[in-house]
Amino acid sequence: MCRSKNKKIFLAACILLAAAVCLSLTMGSYQMTLEEIFATFFGKGNRLWEFTIYESRLPRIVLAVIVASALGISGCILQAVTRNPLAEPGVVGINAGAALMVVLWIAAGTKAYYSVLPVSSAMLMPAVAMFGSLLSLAVVCALSYKQGIGAIRFILCGIGVNAAINAVISFCQLSMSKGDFNQVLTWTNGSLWGSSWNYIVLTIPPVLVLGGVAVCRAKVLDVLALGDELASGVGLSVHRERAFFLVLATLLAACATAVAGNIAFLALLGPQLAKKLAGNQHKVILPLSAMIASILLVGADVIARTLFSPIEIPVGIVVSIVGVPYFIYLMLKGK
Amino acid sequence: MSIEVKNLCAAYNERVILSDVNLKIPKGRITMLIGQNGCGKSTLLKTMARILPAKKGDIFLEGKNMAGMTKKAIARRLAVLPQSPVVPEGILVKELVGYGRFPYQKPLSGLGREDHKIINWAMEKTGVYELRERKVEELSGGQRQRVWLALALAQKTGVLLLDEPTTYLDMAHQLEILELLKKLNQEEEVTIVVVIHELNHAAKFGDHIVGLKNGEVLFEGTPEDVICRENLRNLYEIDAVLVNQREKGYPICMDYSLIGR
Repeated sequence: MCRSKNKKIFLAACILLAAAVCLSLTMGSYQMTLEEIFATFFGKGNRLWEFTIYESRLPRIVLAVIVASALGISGCILQAVTRNPLAEPGVVGINAGAALMVVLWIAAGTKAYYSVLPVSSAMLMPAVAMFGSLLSLAVVCALSYKQGIGAIRFILCGIGVNAAINAVISFCQLSMSKGDFNQVLTWTNGSLWGSSWNYIVLTIPPVLVLGGVAVCRAKVLDVLALGDELASGVGLSVHRERAFFLVLATLLAACATAVAGNIAFLALLGPQLAKKLAGNQHKVILPLSAMIASILLVGADVIARTLFSPIEIPVGIVVSIVGVPYFIYLMLKGK
Repeated sequence: MSIEVKNLCAAYNERVILSDVNLKIPKGRITMLIGQNGCGKSTLLKTMARILPAKKGDIFLEGKNMAGMTKKAIARRLAVLPQSPVVPEGILVKELVGYGRFPYQKPLSGLGREDHKIINWAMEKTGVYELRERKVEELSGGQRQRVWLALALAQKTGVLLLDEPTTYLDMAHQLEILELLKKLNQEEEVTIVVVIHELNHAAKFGDHIVGLKNGEVLFEGTPEDVICRENLRNLYEIDAVLVNQREKGYPICMDYSLIGR
């Protein structure tokens, strides 16, 4: 009974995602109809259509799905590992660490705009972001370490480190030229602005691999939910597994942050909604949170692009504006 | 001997809880660990289960040094029920009991037919089979405790360690759990170690009693031998009025008062 219910939920999520993708393909500063889009896919489009779809909208959508999946899975892992529903990479300083490194990298390495960064430095972005996020994870872990990493200490230290890193990012921004400043500001607020196939090629493999590993080992996350002592009692190396999954979640979040900046709340919302819908089995809710986060982000991106067209607002802000009230509603209903 | 503890020291951070404990847990018996709050009985239990690392000393499980065993190998031989395990939100009884099979599962495999058989057996033994489709968080304290026991039982171990399994339960439900432990001990020949506060429960259900004070073993032996005024005075600093029941074979504590009042 439970299994068929989950199938239905996945089916519904697929349909919603497809709908969001279609909507995203048609909407924009240049409106297209569904027929035009399908014509383009079957090779019968004109050059304008092809450019709009292949060079502008599709990479953006694909990137949104990758980024959202990475964040959804990352948040889901963090919530399981810390046994805290409020945990997400944006809260505990992981995204901020990645963002700081990338900001420093942009500021130091190039004067060019983000979207026209040379491929060589774009190639290194995920690596730089991973380095930064691992560094901040290391700091948080070191601060919260006391005979193993306690869940609550971890979150509290993470919040502190997050605040500190964000302060450093602001400081860096103040010493930048105005163009760079705006660029970085848009980016740190979470944006799909600079999406291109380059970034997609760079981020798909790590996100697929890391996400796959997480889903394959989902059972461990289930067992961690029993509390450290009982989890240990049924044969789980609690500290080792926790460290493993923390690194996994960090790398996933870093991939997302590297290409899309700091998209707040998505890594919190995706898993929470997935849990409300499908319960607690991580082999179900890990992929489901990826899907839900994707739907949210693709949808939010449509709003971000079209609401004040031609001016585009950072998608992270839209996620917050749409997501936060819903989140509060969920919390109140939960009582 | 089921578990043998040699020169064990354990500490939280710098605070030493156990200093040089030597202990033998008899096989196939129920051993009760008693002592004041903070005397180290829970720490001893957790260290024996390798939930807490030992600072010094060795613990042998059926003759094998536990330091050389993997976590899963330990979990196939020894099950532990901590004082307050976390109930994952929304989990069903049968799912929770299913976690008892974790030490036998390969990383990618689910539960096999044999696993389900054992899970059902464990639920039947503990009388929660009828509750298997219910949510654990909706159960009463006594039912929940039996579900945790079923989980430990599903691990199919020769040794079962329990940390205050009767706390927060009323008299009848306390008895229910202890009778269940006795049954498991007799029918399945499981060696059981229980941390317990209620002295009369310890004497009634225990074959072997260990009194701990300030991280050291004060006395150990059968209830008849060790539950006496002198020992209780040392252990709890209470004056106890004991009645020895020849026909039942264990002493009963009728009344008690703090020393000097």
